[in-house]
Amino acid sequence: MPASAVLGRVVATELRPATPHQFHFWTPLDAPVGIGAIVRVDAPGRTVYGVVVDGAAWSDLATPLHAVLAADGDPATEADDPSARTEVRLYTAAVLRQVPEEPLQPVPLGAVRLAGDADVAAALRMDTYAGEGGTGLPVGVYGSGEAGAPVYLDAEFLLGPEAAHCTITGVSGLATKTSAVLFLLASIFQRFPARKGSIAAVCFNVKGPDLCFLDQAGTLSEEDRALWARLGLAPRPFERVRYYAPFKPDGVNLNTLRSNAALAANTEPLVWGLREVLDYAEVLLNREDVDAKTDAFIDFLAERVVGREFHDITLGEDPFHVQSFADLEQLFQAIFAFLEVQSRGAEVWRTHHVATIRKVRNRLGNISTRSKGLVTDDGGANDLPWGRFDDRGVYVVDVAGLDPLAQDLVFARVVSKLREHLERRDLGVDHVVVFVDELNKYAPADGPDTYVRKMLLDLSERGRYLGLVLFAAQQFRSQVQRRVVGNAGTSIYGRMDPDELATPGYGTISPSTRAKLAALPKGELMLRHPHFTQPVFVRFPRPAVLAGREGVERFPPEPDLPFPAAVARQLRTLGAEVTADRVAALIDGRREEDVRRALAATRRGRPDDAVAFFLAALGRRVGGEAPVRRGIPPVRTSRDPYG
Amino acid sequence: MTGAGLRKLTSLAADVTRLRRALAARGIRSAAGEAEGGAGRAEAAEVRPGRLVEGSTLQARPVGPPEPMPGPVAFLDGVQRQELLGYVGTMPLVWAEVAAGVRLREDRRFSTATVLRASLLLGRPEALAAAGTLDGLDTVPLPDDGPLHPVRDLQLARAAVDARRGALERAAGEGFRAASDAWLVVDGSLAESPVWARDPRMLGVVKSHASLPFDGADQLTYLALPFGHRTSVFAPASRAVAPVWSWALRLWPSEGHDLLHGLVRVEAAPGAASVAAADRLSRWLLAERAPIAGTDRRWDRLLYGIHEVERSLRAGR
Repeated sequence: MPASAVLGRVVATELRPATPHQFHFWTPLDAPVGIGAIVRVDAPGRTVYGVVVDGAAWSDLATPLHAVLAADGDPATEADDPSARTEVRLYTAAVLRQVPEEPLQPVPLGAVRLAGDADVAAALRMDTYAGEGGTGLPVGVYGSGEAGAPVYLDAEFLLGPEAAHCTITGVSGLATKTSAVLFLLASIFQRFPARKGSIAAVCFNVKGPDLCFLDQAGTLSEEDRALWARLGLAPRPFERVRYYAPFKPDGVNLNTLRSNAALAANTEPLVWGLREVLDYAEVLLNREDVDAKTDAFIDFLAERVVGREFHDITLGEDPFHVQSFADLEQLFQAIFAFLEVQSRGAEVWRTHHVATIRKVRNRLGNISTRSKGLVTDDGGANDLPWGRFDDRGVYVVDVAGLDPLAQDLVFARVVSKLREHLERRDLGVDHVVVFVDELNKYAPADGPDTYVRKMLLDLSERGRYLGLVLFAAQQFRSQVQRRVVGNAGTSIYGRMDPDELATPGYGTISPSTRAKLAALPKGELMLRHPHFTQPVFVRFPRPAVLAGREGVERFPPEPDLPFPAAVARQLRTLGAEVTADRVAALIDGRREEDVRRALAATRRGRPDDAVAFFLAALGRRVGGEAPVRRGIPPVRTSRDPYG
Repeated sequence: MTGAGLRKLTSLAADVTRLRRALAARGIRSAAGEAEGGAGRAEAAEVRPGRLVEGSTLQARPVGPPEPMPGPVAFLDGVQRQELLGYVGTMPLVWAEVAAGVRLREDRRFSTATVLRASLLLGRPEALAAAGTLDGLDTVPLPDDGPLHPVRDLQLARAAVDARRGALERAAGEGFRAASDAWLVVDGSLAESPVWARDPRMLGVVKSHASLPFDGADQLTYLALPFGHRTSVFAPASRAVAPVWSWALRLWPSEGHDLLHGLVRVEAAPGAASVAAADRLSRWLLAERAPIAGTDRRWDRLLYGIHEVERSLRAGR
């Protein structure tokens, strides 16, 4: 049916009146209208746009008993009735917009037509921002077939400063949440107006391979290509993507599904040292831990000890140079020894209680043990390119292989650093989209008020002024902190869980729309955006990147390499032409931690001749020479009768 | 009364009130209320013996299982409504609306084939003259040869409205049949029109049994007809203008109900063909029991197609 053909007619009765916000219309039985359809009502002097939110059908049957009676109790015979019962299809539409907008009046009893492209633009107020040179970002197509009308989000309301943030809700596997975000990112990268500045994205890959192949082209169907074309976008993978993944505990093999050698060029290790961890030690503390004493001791370590020479006569003659967790452990052992041996069981060292010191030692030691690949003991860090972010760059932080505590640490530190740099305007870009899956895990509605949750709340409330925008996905929106989702200007919904839809947060959505949400096919979404007065359904194409599952098949993760081979691969990513055999010869007899330290130094230095730099960093071979280590006095215990 | 019915009355009342105001402006005393007998035709209960044309004794005959009518089928019905507008002296002025329509059923769906409507102003010529011209109303003068009696005039008005509705029905039916080969099922008697009465593709379905064609034992056979049975074909005695042949048919079991429950009288063109076809035609009508016109209290005798026409005429006002 062409968009201009009359589809139905508005009816208003005492029981079902037309109001300024809602109206009812009847249609023929075969009218191509359904829940979510956008319609236009024409009446003299007024045009009203609405979206269908409910439908009803009934016949002239007075009681079901008459149907039984007429069919002689056999439901199969009803289709043989010579006459089809008269029935009505009555739809309820919520008003999207009235033209003129004032005076706001009840919807007139006019003819109803399906909305065309121009109607959709007017209905959703896209005519105010999605024109040539505007701030419209294609998000999908309203309607079926290739002739669907493009729907645009307003960059001012998606990426700030008017409003910002986007949450995507839907059941796992069917809601296509990740695909939606990737398509939206592609749309942003291609259509974000240059006058609004540069933009990059930081994506946290928290599970599986979904985000592991964003730089690789995926296979698109003709229908997908047509949708990309309809939206005026080029279907291509992201051009500037860098991956950051922690090492495995061996310190040389990356802990990521993107470990195929063909993808190594833009895959870097994410390695942090003591300083990086200590700055965000609060993440590692639970609610009971957070007190003034703990804060004071951590501050003491950060300001007086780590990264500088620390001398305390009570701990011995030699100064401490704490650069790594191992160095810090030596300091802790010296403190405990002083308290237990020299102070004969005293409980306070430099105003810090031994219990506080032990707690901080446990928490910090915990992260270095549980996340050995992320937290290096050799002091060398490899981090995101703070200050050198590329416009339209995507930075994927793959933390899927880390334990939850380390994931929290990575998330907190990366977001905090983004914020710091954006505040100082020295990140390299003006806007950053942070995409995080499983938001209900990081900002749960219930549970302890963690550092990460507080940080996300702050991001959702103030990030838009900085250019820091949160794109978050979750299965259950109701399980996310209310203020975090409430601050999201744009909400997207894929296939929804019926139980989730039964929660109070969805009370404003009509039952029919909820039913549609519970059965939404892949590739269809419901949008809420500040310009849209009612939720709108759209279809979007598959993103033009290699999907996680296909990526794993095309670029299968490589098994962990032996130490020399893994080192050789790391050197090759730095431009060296070196074989595993040669590396094996170079590092023969060297301690692994020394090799890792030299490798880290080479990575930081980015020299022209990586092998030579690596060898220099490795230092002279010292045959049989035992390292000088600070001695720790033996601990006396009462069970040692000879102590 | 349903909400829809109430709103329909409200709409009608607005029209009638407008007429009353127009008349009042011309010095005519307005009056309110439905004219006596305005709701429909009144028939006297009587026995008018019929003449058997099938067999020598009146019998109840099983017609067999329901059988759908082949091809497109049309249904015809008419509606009327009248209101007392006021009095010129003691002469009543009555407003009436009559309509007749044919709905054609194809592939189980109905569409309107014909609709004829008329709005009438009835009264003695002197009263009509006093009322003057009213837009959109056909004036129907009532006889003024007798002594003036308001109640009698109202009865005459009702008869005149009946006649106009009947005339519209005939015009609608004959117009349809002239243009279509489809069977036409009429609500009521075919004997009102010689054209109808001889039409081999028309059936009349009479719901009223005020006039019975048999008494004594035959009346028991007639009124106690089992479900799915018909009587022998007979020629009813009628004051109407054209002869037809007829038989009774029980559409629904009457056990536990009134004697007349589900009982209709079918009329067809006179002749041997109708006798030969009586069983088949009856099977067709049995099939028309479904769907049930359940929103009408006469659902046991009202075919759904007729119900459709009536509802369509009332909705399309």
